[in-house]
Amino acid sequence: MKNTILRIIPVALLAASFLIGMLTVQGYVVAAEHDATTQADPMQFSRGAQTWANNCARCHNMRDAKSLRDDQWRVAIVHMRVRANLTGQEARDVLAFLQGSN
Amino acid sequence: MTPNERWTTIAVTVIILVITAPPAFAQSDTSRIDELERQAAAMLEQIAELRAELEQAKEQKATPDLQGLRAETVAARQAAQRAEAAASEWKDVTSVTHLSGYASAEFISPDNESSAFVVNFNPMFHFLYSDKILWEAELEFEVEENGDTEIGLEYSTVDVLLNDNLVLVAGKFLSPLGNFRQNLHPSWINKLPSAPPGFGHDGAAPIAEIGMQLRGGVTVGNQSKITYSGYIGNGPKLEGEDGEIHAIETDGFAGNADDEFVFGGRFSLLPMPKLEIAVSGAFGDVAVVENDGADISGDPTRDYTVFGFDASFQVGAFDLRAEYISQDVDDQAMSVAPGGGEWETWYAQGAYKFGQAKWEGVVRFTDFDSPHADDDQEQWALGINYLLTPSAMIKFAYESNKGEAGEPTDDDRWIAQIAYGY
Ligand code: HEC
Repeated sequence: MKNTILRIIPVALLAASFLIGMLTVQGYVVAAEHDATTQADPMQFSRGAQTWANNCARCHNMRDAKSLRDDQWRVAIVHMRVRANLTGQEARDVLAFLQGSN
Repeated sequence: MTPNERWTTIAVTVIILVITAPPAFAQSDTSRIDELERQAAAMLEQIAELRAELEQAKEQKATPDLQGLRAETVAARQAAQRAEAAASEWKDVTSVTHLSGYASAEFISPDNESSAFVVNFNPMFHFLYSDKILWEAELEFEVEENGDTEIGLEYSTVDVLLNDNLVLVAGKFLSPLGNFRQNLHPSWINKLPSAPPGFGHDGAAPIAEIGMQLRGGVTVGNQSKITYSGYIGNGPKLEGEDGEIHAIETDGFAGNADDEFVFGGRFSLLPMPKLEIAVSGAFGDVAVVENDGADISGDPTRDYTVFGFDASFQVGAFDLRAEYISQDVDDQAMSVAPGGGEWETWYAQGAYKFGQAKWEGVVRFTDFDSPHADDDQEQWALGINYLLTPSAMIKFAYESNKGEAGEPTDDDRWIAQIAYGY
């Protein structure tokens, strides 16, 4: 019984991941276009500051924005997006905050 | 005299001459009139010449200035454009490379064995293309007791950002089951100098996997979030010894000797920021592929299951974590090692920062159980860390260990470590 349940959980997770992925592809395209056209999102910096405060000390100590250059943050944030399962929006916001604070 | 002044003088002279002319004309004769007319004509001629001269002078003076200014402006604009392009090219390029990683130097002093210094170095490479594809890889260099350097490919994956909520990861990745192995083991992150018992090699927590993974997260409402990861991989190998399963090897294998894959994943809920509760699970078939030190093939497969639970909470200066994970293999009567078994471990850890977050005190309890009494261990670990920077620290820790009498697992230890994440 325990085994059957344990077998179902990962399959369900995998299926859910695919489903969520498919459902959000549409939203992503819109978000990407939106991103390109509205370079200056006035709230992005403050959203980024909040996302940073909420997420970036969960696993390790928070590093100073000044510890990396803009281009290095660009890579580190993609890395953290994957590692910490951040959403694309969270990653873009945090990046804007860090690049604006170093 | 400038042409302007000369022109003015001549004009004034003409005016004076014209004004003073009538009395002269009154007592005149024609020759005097002629003379005056001649003089006036000569003067008008001179004025015309001067005017031409003045125009020429004006032109000569103005032309080189205008041209110079124009050239200077163009040069300045080009320089500004070049500087702007140079300033942003490193930011706007499609491909970015970044080198990071961590390293540590340690002094370990067990009660009943010799003390020693040890060192390791884990460089990490990141290649990002167009904010859509990241290749990440980490190497692990460790000097062994005999002086040889052991090199391992800790992970190497391509991460394709499919959309805002899903990333495809392929290659060798850290096992997404549980939290410690994928997120907390680097020395600059782990608050104690050692991994909790059961979270190392041949323990209870799976280490790595070669396969494919989908992972991501979605925000729910304003403050809540869920995250997920699911994978398929080659799965672990069983190592037999003296007719028993000695260990479940989970370092990630490029072969699949048992011809069966393993499926698994982790699902976490963050009802509010800084509070995460997660479950992990995996299943598949595994087989003994190494027995008494020799590779074997054809040993029948058996069920393999993993179950894990982890939680973490940060509040004020406190950082609290707990994690349980177990790996279970069934019996298989036809195998060279028929008996199955369960490897399970759990720990709870509390840490507190003080002294303007320069100091951190840590306490952790772990209980690791396996089918082999000589591997089992119960541990209390106490530590104090001094943070040089948020990612560089000096740690001092004491481990009180309870294992089988006479085994290294029963030896208490002092450990000092300098760790740096760069
Ligand atoms: C789920 C845990 C987790 C969260 C949350 C997290 N990190 Fe990390 N971070 C890690 C791990 C693990 C590493 C080390 C990676 C390695 O050694 O493989 C790391 C490494 C880093 C590094 C070192 C450079 C690099 O790219 O490896 C930086 C900088 C960093 N994190 C910044 C951040 C920021 C900023 C955030 C907030 C958006 C964040 N982290 C959130 C787990 C996390």
